[in-house]
Amino acid sequence: MKVENFQSEFEKVLNKTNFSKKFKPIQEKAFHQFLDTGLPSKKWEDWRFTKLNKFSKTLYKVSETEHSQITDFNFSKHHISDVSTLTFFNGHYKKEFSDHIPEIEIIDGLIDSKHKEEISSPTDSPFELLNTAFMDSSFNIFTKKNQILEKPIRFLIVSSSEDKLMVSPKINIKLEENSELTLIEHHVGESSNFFINTSTHAQLLDNSKLRHIRIQSNSDSTINFSNIDVNQDQNSQYTFFQFASGPELSRLNIHTKLNGQGAECSLNGLSLSSSSQQLGAHIITNHFSPNCISKQNFKNILQDKSSGIFNGKTIVNIDAQKTDSKQSNKNLLLSKDAIMNSNPQLEIYADDVKCSHGSTTGSLDEEALFYLRSRGLSLDRARNLLIRGFATELFDIIKHESTKSFISDRFENWLKKNAS
Amino acid sequence: MLTIKNLHAEIDNKSILKGVDLEIKPGEMHAIMGRNGSGKSTLSNVITGRDNYLITNGSIHLENESIVDWTPEKRSLEGIFMSFQYPVVIPGVNNTYFLKAALNAKRKYLGQKELDAAGFLKVIKEKLNELDMDPKFLQRPVNQGFSGGEKKRNEILQMLTLEPKLAILDETDSGLDIDALKIIAEGVNRYRNSKRSFLVITHYQRLLKYIQPDFIHVLIDGKIVKSGGKELALELEEKGYNWLDS
Repeated sequence: MKVENFQSEFEKVLNKTNFSKKFKPIQEKAFHQFLDTGLPSKKWEDWRFTKLNKFSKTLYKVSETEHSQITDFNFSKHHISDVSTLTFFNGHYKKEFSDHIPEIEIIDGLIDSKHKEEISSPTDSPFELLNTAFMDSSFNIFTKKNQILEKPIRFLIVSSSEDKLMVSPKINIKLEENSELTLIEHHVGESSNFFINTSTHAQLLDNSKLRHIRIQSNSDSTINFSNIDVNQDQNSQYTFFQFASGPELSRLNIHTKLNGQGAECSLNGLSLSSSSQQLGAHIITNHFSPNCISKQNFKNILQDKSSGIFNGKTIVNIDAQKTDSKQSNKNLLLSKDAIMNSNPQLEIYADDVKCSHGSTTGSLDEEALFYLRSRGLSLDRARNLLIRGFATELFDIIKHESTKSFISDRFENWLKKNAS
Repeated sequence: MLTIKNLHAEIDNKSILKGVDLEIKPGEMHAIMGRNGSGKSTLSNVITGRDNYLITNGSIHLENESIVDWTPEKRSLEGIFMSFQYPVVIPGVNNTYFLKAALNAKRKYLGQKELDAAGFLKVIKEKLNELDMDPKFLQRPVNQGFSGGEKKRNEILQMLTLEPKLAILDETDSGLDIDALKIIAEGVNRYRNSKRSFLVITHYQRLLKYIQPDFIHVLIDGKIVKSGGKELALELEEKGYNWLDS
C-alpha cells in the first residue's frame, strides 16, 4: 500500500455513520499528518531491517459492517480459562461474544461519545498516525482507586476474512492509584491477508500495577504492528510479556516513560519464527526520574529463513540518578539461513546509575548436546531440552496460571512442528 | 567388557591415538595415566562417541559388539558412562528433570517401567545421601552456579543413578579438595563389584590413593608404552614420565 492508496479508504472512514462524530476532526488531522510524514523507508534508522515489501504491494481495505458477521470461526481453539474476554472480529467489537465485566468501566469510545477522554497519537510515527486516522474501535479501560482486578481482561482480536482488510484498534488504559490489572491481547486468525495496526496507551498512576501480556499467533500471511505507549507515575509497575509465533511480519513498538520516582518496568518477549517470517521488537525505555528500575529481556528462536529484529534502547536522562537498568537480547538460530539483527543501545546522561546490556546470537551448544546424549537422551530430545531451557525462564513472568499453561502449550506445539 | 584393538584416531586431520590396545574385564578397574596431550581425553571421547573424532583404524567392542557406529546415546543406553572432566552447564534445565529424563530413557530402553516423580525421588534421595549432597542441587539448573567439587559430585550422582556397566572417570580428581575427593572415592568404591568395570583417566596418582586400580597403563604420544599393577603409580609419582620416553 502506497501513501496515495489510503485516500479512498479514508473517505470510507469519514462516511461511517455508526461512529460518534466528535472524533472526525482528530482523525482528519492525524490523516493529514500521515500524508506529510509518508511511509517509512529503509533510510529511516529504526526501519532499516523491517521488510515492508509485502505491505507496499498489498492494497488493504477498511473493514465494513459485512465483515463483522461471524460465520465459521473456531473460538474453542483459543480458549483461555479464568479470563474475561472482549472479542473483536475483523475490527468490530462483538458484544454477544464478549463477557460482561461489571467491576470496571469499559467504554467503546467510538460509539459512546459521553466519555471526555482525549484521543491522541503520542508519537508521529506513520503507523501510530494511521491508527488514529483509521481507528475502528476505541476501548477505554479505567480502574478505580485501590481496585485490584484478579481476573485478567482479554482482548481477543480475530482476523478472519478472505478480503484484504486493514484493522486499527485503539486501547486506552488508565490505572488509578493503587489499582492492579492484567490485560491480555490475544491476536489470532487464519485470514489470508490482513493488516492489524494496534495502538495501546497506558497511564499508570502512583503505586498501580499493570501486567500486559500479548499473545500473537496470527496466520503466516498477516501483518501485525503494535504501538504501545506507557506513562508511569511514582512506584507504579508495568510488566510486559509478548509471546509471538505469528504472523508473517510483525513489529512491536514499545515506549515506556518512567516519569515518577521508584517506578519499575519489565519488558520481555519470546519470538518463535520459521519459514520467511520476520518478528521484530523496537523498544524504548525512558528514565526521567530517580530510583527507577527497568529491564528489557527479549529472546528469539529462529528456524528456516526467518529473521528477527531487536532494537532496544534505554535512555537515562540527567535527573534519573540511581537508575537500575538491565537490557538483554539472546537469540537461538536453528538454521544456517536464519538472520537476527540485534541492536541493544544505552544512552546515559546521569552519572550515578547501574546499567548493563548484552546480546548473544548463536546455534545450539554442541558441548551441551553431546553431554545430554552421553546420558542416553536422543538427539531430538537433547535439542528440545536445550531449546526449552533457553526459552521457558521467560514464562515465569506470567503469574496467571491458565494463561501461562496456554502459552507453554503453544510453545510445545511450535517445538513439535519446527524443531524436531 | 571393553576390548580396544589397534585404535587409531584423529581430530582435525591431526593423529592423536596411534595404536591403542586395551582389554578391560568385568569387575576390573584400569587407570590410564599420562601427560597433557598424550591422548587420554581423546581415548575417553572416542569410546563415548563424540563426533568430531575420526577413527582411522582399529576397533572398540563392548561385550563383543562393535560400538564404533553407535550414537553417543546408544552407547550410554548400552551401559557406557563418562564422568566429564568439564561438566557442561545447561541453563534453564532443572537437574531433577534432566536426571529423571536420563534414567527413564535408560529404563525404557531396557524394557522397564518408567518412574513417576515420586518413584524417581525415592531413588535419587538415597544416592544424594551417599554423596553427601544437598537436595537443593536437584532444583537448580544442571551444573549452573555449581563449584568445581559440586559439578564432579553431580557427575558421580549421574553414574550412581544410571548404573553403567563401564564407567569412565575423566580427570575426576581435578579441581577437588581432599574432602570432596574422599566422598567421591567412597561413592566409586561402593559402586565397584564383580560385574562393573572402570576406566580412570588421571594425571596424578592422588586419586589412586583412594580408589585402587587393578591395572595402570601409561599413555605417551597416543600409545600405551607401559602397563603394570597399582605400584606403577608410585613409580610414576617418584620418577615422572621422562624415563618412559623413547
